[in-house]
Amino acid sequence: MLSKAQKTFRPLTLMTVRALHKSALDVVERPAPEETVTSSFGRFIQGVQPYHLTPTVLRRSKRMVLDSLGVSLVGSNTEVFELALQHCQHMYARDDVSSVYGREGTRLSPTLAAFVNGVAAHSMDFDDTWHPATHPSGAVLPALLAISDMMPGNGKPSGLELLVAFNVGIEVQGRLMRFSSEARNIPKRFHPPTVVGTMGSAAASARLLSLDRTQCSHALAIAASLSGAPMANAATQSKPFHIGNAARLGLEAALLASRGLEASPLVLDAVPGVAGFSAFYEDYAPRSLVSPDEEVPRFLLEEQDMGFKRFPAHLGMHWVADAAAKVHETLVGLTGGTVPPHLVQDILLRVPPSKYINRPFPESEHQARHSFQFNACTALLDGEVTVQSFSDAALSRPDLHALLSRVRVEHPADNRANFDCMYAEVEVTLMTGDVLKGRCDTFYGHWRNPLSDDSLRKKFRNNASTVLSPAKVEGLIAVVEDLERLEDCKPLLNQIQ
Amino acid sequence: MWRYITLEIGKTFPFVTGSFGAAICSLRSAHLTDAVVRRTKRMMLDTLGVGLLGTRTQVFNKLLQYSQRYSAQENSRVWGRPGVMLPPQYAAFVNGVAVHSMDFDDTWHPATHPSGAVLPALLALADTLPVRPTGEELLLAFSVGIEVQGRIMRFSKEALDIPKRFHPPAVVGVMGSAAATAKLLGLSPAQCAAALAVAASSAGAPMANAATQTKPLHAGNAARRGLEASQLASLGLEGNKEILDLESGFGIFYGDYSPKELADVSPSGHYSWVLEDQDVAVKRFPAHLGMHWVAEAASAVRRKLLDSNSYLSQVSRITVKVPPSKYVNCPFPGTEHQARHSFQFNCCTALLDGHVSIDSFSSGQMNRSTLKDLLSKVHVEHPQDNHASFDRMYGEVIVETAQGGKYGARCDTFYGHWRKPLSHEDLVKKFQSNASNVLTPEGIEGIVHTIDRLDATEDCTILGSYLQMNKHQTRPLDFSLSELD
Repeated sequence: MLSKAQKTFRPLTLMTVRALHKSALDVVERPAPEETVTSSFGRFIQGVQPYHLTPTVLRRSKRMVLDSLGVSLVGSNTEVFELALQHCQHMYARDDVSSVYGREGTRLSPTLAAFVNGVAAHSMDFDDTWHPATHPSGAVLPALLAISDMMPGNGKPSGLELLVAFNVGIEVQGRLMRFSSEARNIPKRFHPPTVVGTMGSAAASARLLSLDRTQCSHALAIAASLSGAPMANAATQSKPFHIGNAARLGLEAALLASRGLEASPLVLDAVPGVAGFSAFYEDYAPRSLVSPDEEVPRFLLEEQDMGFKRFPAHLGMHWVADAAAKVHETLVGLTGGTVPPHLVQDILLRVPPSKYINRPFPESEHQARHSFQFNACTALLDGEVTVQSFSDAALSRPDLHALLSRVRVEHPADNRANFDCMYAEVEVTLMTGDVLKGRCDTFYGHWRNPLSDDSLRKKFRNNASTVLSPAKVEGLIAVVEDLERLEDCKPLLNQIQ
Repeated sequence: MWRYITLEIGKTFPFVTGSFGAAICSLRSAHLTDAVVRRTKRMMLDTLGVGLLGTRTQVFNKLLQYSQRYSAQENSRVWGRPGVMLPPQYAAFVNGVAVHSMDFDDTWHPATHPSGAVLPALLALADTLPVRPTGEELLLAFSVGIEVQGRIMRFSKEALDIPKRFHPPAVVGVMGSAAATAKLLGLSPAQCAAALAVAASSAGAPMANAATQTKPLHAGNAARRGLEASQLASLGLEGNKEILDLESGFGIFYGDYSPKELADVSPSGHYSWVLEDQDVAVKRFPAHLGMHWVAEAASAVRRKLLDSNSYLSQVSRITVKVPPSKYVNCPFPGTEHQARHSFQFNCCTALLDGHVSIDSFSSGQMNRSTLKDLLSKVHVEHPQDNHASFDRMYGEVIVETAQGGKYGARCDTFYGHWRKPLSHEDLVKKFQSNASNVLTPEGIEGIVHTIDRLDATEDCTILGSYLQMNKHQTRPLDFSLSELD
């Protein structure tokens, strides 16, 4: 009993030991750590073994790694990335440790590299999306790469170790999101990457840093104090910082835990009257993770695949773009090539209610990526939405303006703000009185209709080739394809800039 | 970049946010009243003292170690550590951690610890500015940082009660730090508003980490990330221009949220500062504010006990009547952090010793068998009329003895509360007592003297020099004593 006390309670006072011999009051106040949700997460992070990764999980997570690299590389061309990088380079001295995506020779200290690389990942809203909703990879991969760069030359993690840590980071995010029913709907309060992303980064980093299970728990608890940002900053230039900070701060939490910093041992548990991680949700019902020593863990990624975007905009836009593209097909069939706006009398969009993506007249690329109206009209005009659809020139097209002014939005009762069950309908009424309809239930790239490996590689090549040489582009594809067999992740680290 | 609707039509949509940006930019030292100047000086002195004492804590040392992996071209001074410099955000971070490390810093109503989020950020920033700010500029920026916190806490009724969900310094503190540093940087109204928007994405930490070693990081991170938000805003980063207006903006931290615009600040007119109406509480010992009521009541009970020739060993039952607040209800604290957040612990310590002091939280004192004995006799009650609000709560202690004696006392307002503020003498004494653990007499007196005449000080960074005059380590002075006058 005594040794258990000393193991479970770090404080060494006799008073604490005696407290354990008190009666029910204490047991209720402070259950043995083995039984808390928080400690079960710490145990999971430390205890997962490489052989627990099934072929499906391996395949899916490698696709996520490749996509994340690609969108980050193209993201390194953005203004917001440049701003973040400049900030780090001005405010901090050279610290040639961790590589910055797409910038040969540019390195920063690990947390700062995780920061700017995370910003890159989310800079164009081109990164992966899961259900319940969050952008899981951008918060995790930059932290892991930064740590890998930090480790000595002969002590770099293997590809498999990297993949295990990555999957730990994704799994933790998925598990945390299942603690509330609120998380299943398109968010209104906290931007999910800032809530679960930070935790995922902390978990993954703790794993790669080989922290013990108690330190892993503390990393999560420290990260909880660094989580949470409001939805209002989505659709602004600050949104990418949400992922950047999730990556950075999760890593920082793990580093602090490795130095012995401690935080709440009950952060994930539901303690009435004192909010831990529950602070971020209205309803909160946590569940412990099974011990990897007792049962083979089943990864959520096995049951719930990832959505990948085909163009850089909020996920909801993909439904509307696909629906509008169908109408475009019909229209050009009628007109013989183009879609003249003067032919269009009215455009009706039937979409789920979600304020932050309902923008009739977006004024910036950030807002345009979060506008049902903009994406519908772009797809109506062009037949598709692409990276170029958000350039300044594209944003200011008179044809587009003309169409935008003819859009109405409806929220049918059966169209719920939920990425798993929403749909989009586009109904275009022409001046001639003809009504053309298009509907999309599942866009290509959604988890129900995943991008083929070919399509994913094509997206990666388009993205990566904006900054990398063809040799490195193909090199990365090959390295990621074979990641679990890589003895040493240096080939990966060497080709991201 | 095209604009479909021009925004420059005079007063536009983001009423509240825009008014904050405008106010931060327009407030001048002429707007500072005597009361505000007096109170902010007291807050600054107290904050520096508790910060210096805090540089001796384990949590400070861990964070300093961590932060020393970072370097920059422009660095700022770490308090109490001669020659130790960090990039400004990390200096703000560790100094902020120091301030809150022992829960000894100021507390306001609605509840938060306002100064620890602001002063470290300002001093760190001041160290890097090419033109050193004057004492008056520091006072003004500090006041702005406090004001913004006070105003945004009044946007919800929830903020009036002892918090359960988000730890207020992590919510409003980062906003105050952003406002104060934006002021010192001289940002435009739009940039000041942008700093607030960017800071909002760094706000929020759960209450569960209070009463743990991580709690001080809430203040440290508030200081750091508010400063970062201003720096990013000065580089042109933008967030949501309606961040304070929207429920999906700053409103996410509250169940009920009704933001209000700040009145236009006229250059020659009067400005009503929140600090004028509502003073802060200064603690006399390093523990959660609620402990102060209970300690005073318990001390009074002890006197009554002894006056009637009874002994503590005769105590059979102790009843503590306090407001319901889970995170400070801790019957058998195991760590110093828990002890600082335990009605029971502070009651029993005051019963035993007649007071609670810095030393009460040492492991030696925490381990006393006489204390543990008393702790086992404590029962906590939550009377209906005892509200979980620092403005309305009381602490009552009733002790019964085996001989049938019953002694009780109640404290409605402890000495140090805003209704009964510390005298100037006692405030300075607290500072001197704290600072003397770290600084030389010259450093101590230098700070007291400088704060006292801060509005007339040419270069506020002289404070940083005094803050590094550690009595245990020597280094050459980098200024001459004649600069004092």
